Amino acid sequence: MGKPFILNLVHRLELSPEYSQKTNGAGGKEDAFTGALTSESVEIFKTQQRLAHENGLKTTIQLTYASLFSDECIELAKADHEKYGDEISLSLLGLPCPEFKSKYKTKDFCIWMFSEDDKRAIIDDVFGLFKKKLGFYPHSTGSYYLDAYCLNYIHEKYPSVKAAVATCFEEGPKAYHTCNNSWYTFLDGGPWNPWIPSKENTHCPASDAKDDCGIVCIPHLSRDVMACFDGNGSNFGTHPQNVLRGMIYDHKRRIPYLYNLIDQYRHLGKWNRYAYNMMFVGPGWMNRSGRWEVPYEGLYKSYEDAMRYYGKLKKEGLLIDMTMEEFADFYRIGLDYQEPERCLWKDILYGSTKQYFWYLDPHFRTCLDMNQGGAMIDLRPYAAKLPWKVGIGTRSVYDASYPYLIQANYRAGYFTHYAGEGTVKSYKVKHGSEAYDGCLQRTMARCDVLENGDTLLTLDPVTFAFSDLSCDVVSRFLFKKGEGKIEITREITRIEGKGEVEIEEYFTGAFGINEYQSDMSKIVLTSDGESGHQEIHYAYKCRALHEEKASQIAALIPDVDTLLSMGSDEMVAGNVEEGYAFSPCYRLALSKKFTSKGELRTWLSLRKAS
Amino acid sequence: MAQSKKGKLNYRCPSCFIRDIDIDMFYDEKKKEYYCLRCCFHGSEEEVLRLNDMLKFRYKWMEKRVLDFGDDDKAPKVEDYKGEEEK
Repeated sequence: MGKPFILNLVHRLELSPEYSQKTNGAGGKEDAFTGALTSESVEIFKTQQRLAHENGLKTTIQLTYASLFSDECIELAKADHEKYGDEISLSLLGLPCPEFKSKYKTKDFCIWMFSEDDKRAIIDDVFGLFKKKLGFYPHSTGSYYLDAYCLNYIHEKYPSVKAAVATCFEEGPKAYHTCNNSWYTFLDGGPWNPWIPSKENTHCPASDAKDDCGIVCIPHLSRDVMACFDGNGSNFGTHPQNVLRGMIYDHKRRIPYLYNLIDQYRHLGKWNRYAYNMMFVGPGWMNRSGRWEVPYEGLYKSYEDAMRYYGKLKKEGLLIDMTMEEFADFYRIGLDYQEPERCLWKDILYGSTKQYFWYLDPHFRTCLDMNQGGAMIDLRPYAAKLPWKVGIGTRSVYDASYPYLIQANYRAGYFTHYAGEGTVKSYKVKHGSEAYDGCLQRTMARCDVLENGDTLLTLDPVTFAFSDLSCDVVSRFLFKKGEGKIEITREITRIEGKGEVEIEEYFTGAFGINEYQSDMSKIVLTSDGESGHQEIHYAYKCRALHEEKASQIAALIPDVDTLLSMGSDEMVAGNVEEGYAFSPCYRLALSKKFTSKGELRTWLSLRKAS
Repeated sequence: MAQSKKGKLNYRCPSCFIRDIDIDMFYDEKKKEYYCLRCCFHGSEEEVLRLNDMLKFRYKWMEKRVLDFGDDDKAPKVEDYKGEEEK
């Protein structure tokens, strides 16, 4: 744990949190802007600030549009800036207030969902009011999500802004379902740690200085990258309310899971140039009425405990607290745009030995599941840098998720009910009439960062046992820095028995942003090799191509402007399969036969198609 | 009969919680029970609290503290939580 562990602690001064407006529920007043709610919000903010300062932590205070109309709020922020060095920042959350409602005549509160005209008008309004009240423009800002249009506009018009809160890891259909299909923050497919977004799409890291949107972005909270992928994201993050919401506490309301979560983020420094944590809280969750079955005293205790733990780490020299502006300056020192973010994550809640490997660079984001033999269970083609417009007046009013090619939970993965296939990349080992899938081989992995910047993931060997033959296979994934390419090796390190073994490396893909598949008829599947070039124009007809000596097999997916290809340096057999209506996927596979030890080495490449 | 109201805390439906749906229950004063709008669950406060405890069954390390994340390909080393971080 030798790398610096940096904390951004962000308190936003919402006077009428959007989730408090309904929380009072049946019998409560319909008017959300009551004096009682706003004065309670200010008191909670003061408590949160006090708990941070008592533990020696500086904060970033994000003023909201509503709070900028309050002299008391502005004076509070100024006083803490003077005394503790807190940054006075500006949030684009917290828009709801009487002034906003009378001016914009809407109940919308998510900046990325407005029309482009309204985005500009609101940003100018909020930033202008901040300047009028504070005398300067902010150096950081944020929302649950900021689309590329907002980030580019803010950078162009307010170049003082260096940092922004700009996404929430894996908040999408899962959050929607958890909130009884009523919470429209669809932001799946983004980074879990800080990044500099591309000018084209917020989710994608910038490829170079030309593509740099000019703002260092941080995620809303540091989330458990396993629990949030598998289940409800809102239960597993560095917000004490998340942990309470998930009921992850004992009878004394102790929350060791939160400390374990923070510690695992510290551990990620092992493979990256620093380690990071972000806590981002408003006042709404800590109200006097209690929240998620927990009375106020329990809410208070959870925040006090969280601050105490961060404070303890700081006292021991294991944590550096920074404001968002300070962090942006730190992040740009020695910046290498092609440097990936690596995350070998272990289960810390369910007590299993499940392990994920997340990898992200300007070309793609992916996740491998060692509990399924290293199967690829998520893949987002960042290389396409899709200019995905979002907001009123676009084709995607509220859904800002970045499309996947593989999402094994939304689209089945290995396990399906009786028929069809799910999206996953794995391998099969075959012998005679028997075949087993790597997805049923539970293992664990080691991660090494090589001198040239490549990343090598090596899986512990697994055994395939057939009726009259057994063999051990070691899988290696080499992530080539800056190339958008993964080399995958399946090595047979032991083989006992007679006959032939075949290894098939396959990719079953689709594309989408949720559980459902849109029309696939623009997809073109190809095979190149000894027989020349062959094509299938997707029409759900269950057709297949076979090439005995293939140099490359590929899927062109125009809907997400992506060319996905697989190949091998040696000519191996290639199979391409079209799906059908009940199983809307495509399948690419390369295979090789063995009678003794040996390896199948293939590569997977992602490129922008156009 | 008068309309239902929220209880003193926002108790969620335990049956929906286990399928990752957060939905607050309402309180039926006449029957002295909480009930769910989304599914058929209904129960007393005592029953809700008991079920809330039960549904933590999946969090086998909820009361563990990680001592060391160890080698990459090994499970973390843990011990029973002793409360060092909390008063």
